[in-house]
Amino acid sequence: MTSSVLKVTIERSSDAQDVFEVPAFESQTVLDVVSWVQQNADPTLSYRFACRVGMCGSCAMMVNGVPRWTCRTHINKVLDGNEVTIGPLRNLPVIKDLAVDMDPFFDKWVAAEGVHHGALTRDDPIAPVDEDSSDRVEANAGIECINCSVCYAACDTVAGNADYLGPAALQRAWTLLNDAKDEGRNAILEAVSGSGGCHNCHSMGSCAAYCPNDLDPMSAIAGLKRGTAKSYFKRGR
Amino acid sequence: MQLSDIERHDTDILILGTGGAGLFAALHAQQSAPEGTKITIAVKGLIGKCGCTRMVQGGYNVALGGGDTVERHFMDTINGGKWLPNQDMAWRLCEQAVVRIRELENEVGCFFDRNSDGSLHQKAFAGQTADRTVHKGDLTGIEIINRLMEKVLASGVEKLQEHRAVGLIPTKDGSALAGVLMIDMRTGGFKFVRAKTVLMATGGGPTMYKYHTPSGDKTMDGLAMALRAGLKLRDMEMVQFHPTGLLAGDHTRMTGTVLEEGLRGAGGQLINHSGARFMFDYDGKGERATRDVVSRGIDAEMRKNNNPEQEGVFISMSHLGPDFVRKKFKGMVNRCADSGFDLAEGKVEVVPTAHYFMGGIVVDVDTRTAMEGLYVAGEDAGGAHGSNRLGGNGVANSTVYGGIAGDTMGADIVSMSLREPDEAVLAAEFDRAIYPLSRKPNLVLPLRKQLQDLMWEEVGVMRTEAGIKRGLTGIAEVSDALMDVGVDNGTLAFNLTWHDWLNLRSLCDISEVIAKAGNARENSRGAHFREDFPEPGTMEDSEFTVAQQTSEGVTVTREPVEFSIVRPGETVLPADAPETLVATQ
Repeated sequence: MTSSVLKVTIERSSDAQDVFEVPAFESQTVLDVVSWVQQNADPTLSYRFACRVGMCGSCAMMVNGVPRWTCRTHINKVLDGNEVTIGPLRNLPVIKDLAVDMDPFFDKWVAAEGVHHGALTRDDPIAPVDEDSSDRVEANAGIECINCSVCYAACDTVAGNADYLGPAALQRAWTLLNDAKDEGRNAILEAVSGSGGCHNCHSMGSCAAYCPNDLDPMSAIAGLKRGTAKSYFKRGR
Repeated sequence: MQLSDIERHDTDILILGTGGAGLFAALHAQQSAPEGTKITIAVKGLIGKCGCTRMVQGGYNVALGGGDTVERHFMDTINGGKWLPNQDMAWRLCEQAVVRIRELENEVGCFFDRNSDGSLHQKAFAGQTADRTVHKGDLTGIEIINRLMEKVLASGVEKLQEHRAVGLIPTKDGSALAGVLMIDMRTGGFKFVRAKTVLMATGGGPTMYKYHTPSGDKTMDGLAMALRAGLKLRDMEMVQFHPTGLLAGDHTRMTGTVLEEGLRGAGGQLINHSGARFMFDYDGKGERATRDVVSRGIDAEMRKNNNPEQEGVFISMSHLGPDFVRKKFKGMVNRCADSGFDLAEGKVEVVPTAHYFMGGIVVDVDTRTAMEGLYVAGEDAGGAHGSNRLGGNGVANSTVYGGIAGDTMGADIVSMSLREPDEAVLAAEFDRAIYPLSRKPNLVLPLRKQLQDLMWEEVGVMRTEAGIKRGLTGIAEVSDALMDVGVDNGTLAFNLTWHDWLNLRSLCDISEVIAKAGNARENSRGAHFREDFPEPGTMEDSEFTVAQQTSEGVTVTREPVEFSIVRPGETVLPADAPETLVATQ
């Protein structure tokens, strides 16, 4: 650490930037820095967090222009000298200061049919699943997404096209297409092949590059592109 | 801000909270209520994102055959709770978990880990006599909540996100609940929501302790509201401490977060300030003893240590092979690394950390309370766990009883109407919430730290009458001091500092109840340990504490446990049943 005081620039919803001097500590995350400002220097600062440990996906922000979970980003990883700039997550409407409205992200999750379409009920036995089968492996690869919107904020296609469903919602659709229990194949393919669907993706890969969970939405979207093409040809025949 | 500014809003079924209980209630209410029923779900954070179900690492306890039975799960729950659980609640938990896990797999679409034959993989936590815990790696909560959240988001229920409940408003005669006063945190405006039925599923979360695991939004608001509404709270002395919380300094929110149970299970060693293993001094199972025993062992070692540079003890894994540790505990290794610690090769400082609250509102097995129109499920409800919750029974409890609450409310509303609130109570709750806005602003955080230090020292892992009394005096001091702290009222929209104030108000109120209940229990059971009364007392004479707000303040009485299914010394298992089905390691 270069200094015992950090120079922290925070983007406020008034379009202003405020600069705070924050004491540096040995174990300190970006969320701790933001919290210190609210708890000690400016009680009017707004932000959002919940679990503190990278499980809930509530606290993502732009840190030096890059989307990150603030609770799991050690400040030393992002300091430029002793400076850091923190802003609200990109591609979502700001509620106030560092807190964004995540509803558009979740509305698209639902619009991509990102919900289980089951035929079985609680009265049916639990069907066996081969964890090594190729479709389960494919589905499992994306299932641990915590819907933090980091990929959505990183995506330039989302930035340029407000209707684009975005990487997380499309990745969820792909896990469902590969889930042997899911009965919604046609609805999913239809949802992801429309005007805001998977074909908007230019494979720039920011989603996979920035995912804090090391998931690969870009490859999932590539799978959807193949899946929708196949289904198109089937229908044509 | 005036009383007349309160927006009035009506619904049929109102659900507070979006953890396992709240989300399941929403789904079940839609299935059971008459067509056209309006269902509203309100939450202090974002749907499915705040709260603690999402943070479940271990998994979901359910007896699914292979020798395991509902009876065995039940006996483990009763034994684990040291004969204090409400037996009918514990039975229903174990019985309905079987249905709920099929629902999660078949209807909600959860992915759970499998055996090589394709069946659900189950493992055993401490205190279980069968491999019973269904899981998804060590991130079971994320899988359950993600899938439930999608279902609820797609279901069309009315969403009130970042709406904080601040008061239960009864009818004028006090016999029933009329609705709930809330703050729309995004605008800072007030909303009074009337409903025929209200489910309280806000989760407990003992964050009044210096070291705690629950998510940051959890501050006992539900129990504080119930206390003010005059409802009975049981087992309020029962705070479960997890033995290994990360210790990284009081300036980081990482401190207190859980380093998982599996580390000790796999052979992790606890090392004290003089570099020695110590757990075998306290229990024959060493580090593999149950949570309460290990927490007390660590607490005792911490008290022996006079080195101010080292507060906790260390967990050491490196003797198992750093590569093995990195592979088997990837999530934990990464999380420690983000705080600057090397779990695989080095030592990480840990402390016991307040994890779960067994106490809660007195309910019946259908989640009904003494107040018509109010239902409670999940961590806000007392009774199912008694003095100790088994790992894996928490998420089973919230999902089972959340579903039951949805079914019950869906049926009950048929004969219910919207009720008129007692406007005087509404005005009082409104005044209470805006109180700090007209006072001179000051910092809230130092008072929260004062309360947390006090609860940790005096009403923590090990307790005495003298300590608890010091605790009560200190709680009253913090409580009074808070009333002199104002909050900047420049803008009420997303004003976190106002909510910090309200959070601390709830924590002070419930801390007093914990301390008083802890003083009333003059024996040591499960999570509650009294150094001046170290014996558990006779099981046959088991009593549970009941706290209630009366005109004389918070009073605590004791009621005998009703052994409605099985008596101490007896079992519901067949006479020839083996003691455990878990293969010894």
